[in-house]
Amino acid sequence: MPPASIQQLAAFSFFAALAVVSALATVMMRNPIRNAVGLFVHVLSLAGLYVSLSAHFLTAVQLIVYVGAVVVLFVFVIMLLGPASEAPSDTAGRLPRGIGAAAMIAAGVFLARVVIDLRPERVANPPGFGTIETVGRELFGPAMIPFEMASVLLTAAIVGAFAVARSHHGKVSMSTGEPSDGSSR
Amino acid sequence: MIIHLGHYLALSCVLFSIGAAGFLFRRNVLISLMSIELMMNAVNLTFIAANRWQPLVTSADGTATAAIPHHGHLFTFFVIAVAAAEAAVGLAIVLAFYRLRKTVRTDAADMLRG
Repeated sequence: MPPASIQQLAAFSFFAALAVVSALATVMMRNPIRNAVGLFVHVLSLAGLYVSLSAHFLTAVQLIVYVGAVVVLFVFVIMLLGPASEAPSDTAGRLPRGIGAAAMIAAGVFLARVVIDLRPERVANPPGFGTIETVGRELFGPAMIPFEMASVLLTAAIVGAFAVARSHHGKVSMSTGEPSDGSSR
Repeated sequence: MIIHLGHYLALSCVLFSIGAAGFLFRRNVLISLMSIELMMNAVNLTFIAANRWQPLVTSADGTATAAIPHHGHLFTFFVIAVAAAEAAVGLAIVLAFYRLRKTVRTDAADMLRG
């Protein structure tokens, strides 16, 4: 076995195990901060898998957008909510929910057993595959219009998030809960 | 043992099912949103792995060219953009919901019930 494939196997095994464990931590922990840390580790391990697939540009995007923005946003909201972010557990309706979750896990494992035997021939790594330059040329070439539409979507999302998250009708101050005049907003 | 496309796809299936199970089982809105992020990340892994094992494009005279299009990478890029927008709007809705109901349990979201 050539050393390169041993390295590949080791990298894949490490990051795959880390991704599965951190995904389980993300959905199973009780304290939401621990869920957020699980998501953080999950996103990092997926970035490692992207490197092993020679998707360097998307590794950077994954680190910047997920680690830098999404996980931090989750942590901000958890800290803003404080102890209330940990919803009290209740056992009502636990059986149907558990059946649904078990069915999802079973379907995922079944599908994984089906697709694990897919062995298409891997072509040699072409020069420049996945780098910022080549992906950027396609992004600003054939994918120009979707790219601009994504910027419109993000602008709309920012405005929508502001509109939804500010105080109700703008009349109640969030910190005190008392009606405030418009000047404090 | 050589890592093939099937290994990445199987890993992606497992990660997606963990996210889907968490979305169904947990009643915390924050954890539901995190489960959605898990599912989107699993799909991104599928796109990137399939892009890596894409067959060579053969030109008219039969010679294989090295230019592999990055369609999977582009899809992943846009999925990440949509996921960021979804997280921002979703967490804003969580804040507004908490201000109304003082809880983040999904059962408490019954304001549209007649």
